[in-house]
Amino acid sequence: MNPSNPPQAAEYGGDEVSAIVLDPGYSTTRAGFAGEDAPKSLIPTYYGKYNADGQEKIVYGDDVFVTPRPGLSVYNPLNKDGIVEDWDMAEKVWEHSFMSRLTGTKAGNPFQNGLNDDGTQEPPEEMEVESDEKPLSDSPLLMTEPGWNPAKAREKTIEIAMEKWDTPAFYLARTGVLASFASGKASALVIDIGASNISVTPIHDGMILKRGVQHSPLGGDYISSQISALFKANSPQPITITPHYLISSKTAVEAGQAPQAKYKTFPADKAPDASYRALLEERTLAEFKECVVQVWPGPTRLSAPGPNGIPNEDMARTYPGRPFEFPDGYNQVFGVDRFRVVESLFDAKAAVPDPESSFPPPTPAQTIPELVKASLAGVDVDLRPHLLANVVVTGGSSLLYGFTERLNHELMQMFPGPRVRVTAAGNTSERRFGSWIGGSILASLGTFHQMWISKKEYEEHGPNIVEKRCK
Amino acid sequence: MASAGDVRDMLDLPAEGQPRPHKKQKVVEKRPEGITRELYALLGERAPPIAINENKYKGRPKWMNKLRVRPWSMAPFTNSARSDGLVLNHWQRKHESARPPVAAAQDESRMDVDQPREEGKDETPKPTEHDYAFAKYNVKPRLPRRYTDEEYDGNLKNDGWSREETDYLVDLVSEYDIRWVIIADRYDYQPKIDTESEENALVPAKQHRTMEQMKARYYYVAATMLAIEHPPSEMSEAEFELHEKMLKFDANRERDRKDLAALQINRTADEVREEAMLLEELKRITSNEQNFITERRELYSRLEVPISVGNTTMYQSSAGLSQLLQTLLQADKSKKRRSILGDGAVPSPAGQTPNAAGSTGRAETPVTQAANNKKGSTASKETHQAVRTLTPAEEARYGVTHHERVSAGVQFRSDRAQRLTQAKSNVQTQKLANALAELEIPVRLFMPTERVCKDFEKLIQSVNMLLDARKVSEKVESEIRVLEAAKFERERKAREAAGLPALPRPEVKTEAEDGNTGISASHPSDPLAAAGGSAQSGQDQQNVAREASNGGDGNHKRSASVLSATSESNKRQRR
Repeated sequence: MNPSNPPQAAEYGGDEVSAIVLDPGYSTTRAGFAGEDAPKSLIPTYYGKYNADGQEKIVYGDDVFVTPRPGLSVYNPLNKDGIVEDWDMAEKVWEHSFMSRLTGTKAGNPFQNGLNDDGTQEPPEEMEVESDEKPLSDSPLLMTEPGWNPAKAREKTIEIAMEKWDTPAFYLARTGVLASFASGKASALVIDIGASNISVTPIHDGMILKRGVQHSPLGGDYISSQISALFKANSPQPITITPHYLISSKTAVEAGQAPQAKYKTFPADKAPDASYRALLEERTLAEFKECVVQVWPGPTRLSAPGPNGIPNEDMARTYPGRPFEFPDGYNQVFGVDRFRVVESLFDAKAAVPDPESSFPPPTPAQTIPELVKASLAGVDVDLRPHLLANVVVTGGSSLLYGFTERLNHELMQMFPGPRVRVTAAGNTSERRFGSWIGGSILASLGTFHQMWISKKEYEEHGPNIVEKRCK
Repeated sequence: MASAGDVRDMLDLPAEGQPRPHKKQKVVEKRPEGITRELYALLGERAPPIAINENKYKGRPKWMNKLRVRPWSMAPFTNSARSDGLVLNHWQRKHESARPPVAAAQDESRMDVDQPREEGKDETPKPTEHDYAFAKYNVKPRLPRRYTDEEYDGNLKNDGWSREETDYLVDLVSEYDIRWVIIADRYDYQPKIDTESEENALVPAKQHRTMEQMKARYYYVAATMLAIEHPPSEMSEAEFELHEKMLKFDANRERDRKDLAALQINRTADEVREEAMLLEELKRITSNEQNFITERRELYSRLEVPISVGNTTMYQSSAGLSQLLQTLLQADKSKKRRSILGDGAVPSPAGQTPNAAGSTGRAETPVTQAANNKKGSTASKETHQAVRTLTPAEEARYGVTHHERVSAGVQFRSDRAQRLTQAKSNVQTQKLANALAELEIPVRLFMPTERVCKDFEKLIQSVNMLLDARKVSEKVESEIRVLEAAKFERERKAREAAGLPALPRPEVKTEAEDGNTGISASHPSDPLAAAGGSAQSGQDQQNVAREASNGGDGNHKRSASVLSATSESNKRQRR
């Protein structure tokens, strides 16, 4: 076959080898079979730890949210940059993501599973060996990583996959590349708005351009902190969020009136940890983001004067407000404030000040337009117009109302010359799971199967092979 | 009752003149299923615009139900694009050896219907025997051979690039399949010189390589290797082209280009707006230009009509005239179509570029002047600017002329000159033509420039005058002759009466008081200047005149020649 001739379109095709795609994010971990259109297993990356009967127990998955166990504390194995810190727990959480829904627990020894409760016979010896089987021994595994993942973490990942899970073949792909694949592009500028990070990744021919990768911590969690800051400074009265598990009953109240609810109280020894409460407060904030928060659509910034002389803030004030009811029944209509909490993604000066927040005030370089600018400055000039014409927006937090519109305006103002085209999947799940879907596409392609790192190759070259193969 | 036949009989019509019109056939539409007869009758002829048919699942065609379900199985396969023999599993059609022959035949007939995907897999008893369908996509670009140590030392040494770094670059190029964007992105060469010194010392020593530097180096290496493999004289055309391209790579130029591209992409909104405006303007100008060119082409094709030379007898009858009209109409139509098409095939002098139209020679005709006005070129500006007055020399140079009265419309200067040769009577015209033929001046001027035309006009005028003079002189001479004959007769009679012998006839004398004085002097004929249009004609003219006057000295021979007539008249005048 001549390399200059493109293959005919009809020749492209998938070839599914029942590979598993694992897309570990900071907030959620997605796993599913390649070739499907959404991950079958979606669990929070947070895990809970508590003591029961003097033993340390660990809760994974959605179970974390359900029961406020005494002393339950919540952790995340990833650090704020989205890089794994606690490898042991990360491995467990990831394992849970595919074991619980996809591969299932292996059939145990039939003599020990309680169904054959004969008790008279000794179990045969060879059965013991079988029960020792590892979770992924017959599924290739495709994992994702952020573009700034250090080499050490990559090697550790393949080590876990090969040695602990015994996968026959493994590949490590960048989230940005996969997100661009999910929107059908081999070259794109991927803007990923995640929970802990926003990142801008230039992709050329299915490979990331490392010098153009930019990321900053102004992700969904930062927006939550901005909302909290807003609640603290709320005008009729500061709002405190009481999570659902602390409410036993509530009655409807007028907007702006003090809540009338009966609260549950936990004695000090039975109460869960503060981190648990923070996690559940975060859920309420997520709901608030989905229902109320809105990005000022532009074309100019919220603080700037509008096109007809009226300041944009005044224009925003004329928009009808949006009501929101908190778990304790307190409800309020949010007006211009709902624009303010996300304005700092585009305009660092517009951040809601909060000295107690764990996030330092954002610098101008951390805003999305600046990230895009820095990212484009890191790639070749000839590529920039093409990248700007293929901007792909992905990540759950990009679902903020009016986000893509504003992004489009910002980019067009910054680069008035070249054509700017922002692509964002309209479907919610396609936006949230963009990189997983790209992985699903990639791992089910017949042409991809030559790229897997096989177990044999791993044994031959060691974990360092991931640097050579997953470029 | 009268039938149609009776009526026909009465009216003397043929028995069956025309077939009777058929009765409109009533179209009976089939009643769709799922609707009662009564309801369908109520609907009338026009079906309602909504679909009455119920949606239902189409299902498989019936013949398919008879077929057996073909089993699939999870089968292992290897990929020949891999070197490690990794075995993966995928679903594929199960091969059945013990298949009933009928079912097998049916199976095969169906297979070619729905088999885009697993060609080659179906018939395989063992998956390993057939190549993996996707292995053929594992392609690599063709790169020149790697250099050996001697080749490097002989041809490829470079001060800027160490051997190690060149190796690194060539490795990267083959690893990333010459995708320079990625190569430049991943390029991270660590010189290995001072491994014992600490990390910090290494950092400043490292130099940043731009993509252009890498390209220049690699292309040089690759071109050299290509030339070593095959000397340029033995290369195939494609190879030679590649070799040339790589050798001619200019890093500086490429860098400049990229600088410009960066400027282009970092334009401000104002600059972009201005550019858009200018582009719009440019578009307007080019479209105007286009219009102008097509208009001018049309004009030229109109001017190009050849002058007919054939005789006109065939058009003198009315049939001939109508035929002429037809052909003219035809020609007109085809011309119109051609001008609409605007193809360049129109045989016209408009093949010249619009720039050539601005030259000075063009500006002479009023048509192009008008066109130039539209275009706003410099030539027309000069002719029309009242502010700038031209010296006579400049006027002559640019061909500027001033007319007292300009007749409307377009005309050829040569036409005007030719009109002069047409006298009132045919005899006179013939005489004029004879005179011109004797002077070897064509009736239709070769080069009807301004000056030539003017001189031609003068020539014709003087020829006319000479002809007139000759006519008068002939008349006078004949009168004299008659009178002299009469006188002679009278004298003879007188002598006879006196008895004297007869005298010989006296010589004929011309008279100075003919009324033709000053003709030649006031209108010096200038035949040579008119014919040649040369600058030295003045002197020639004098010579000719002198010669003519000398030649005619004392010679009384009459001839039809104008020149001799001139000399005679001169002589006469002198006397």
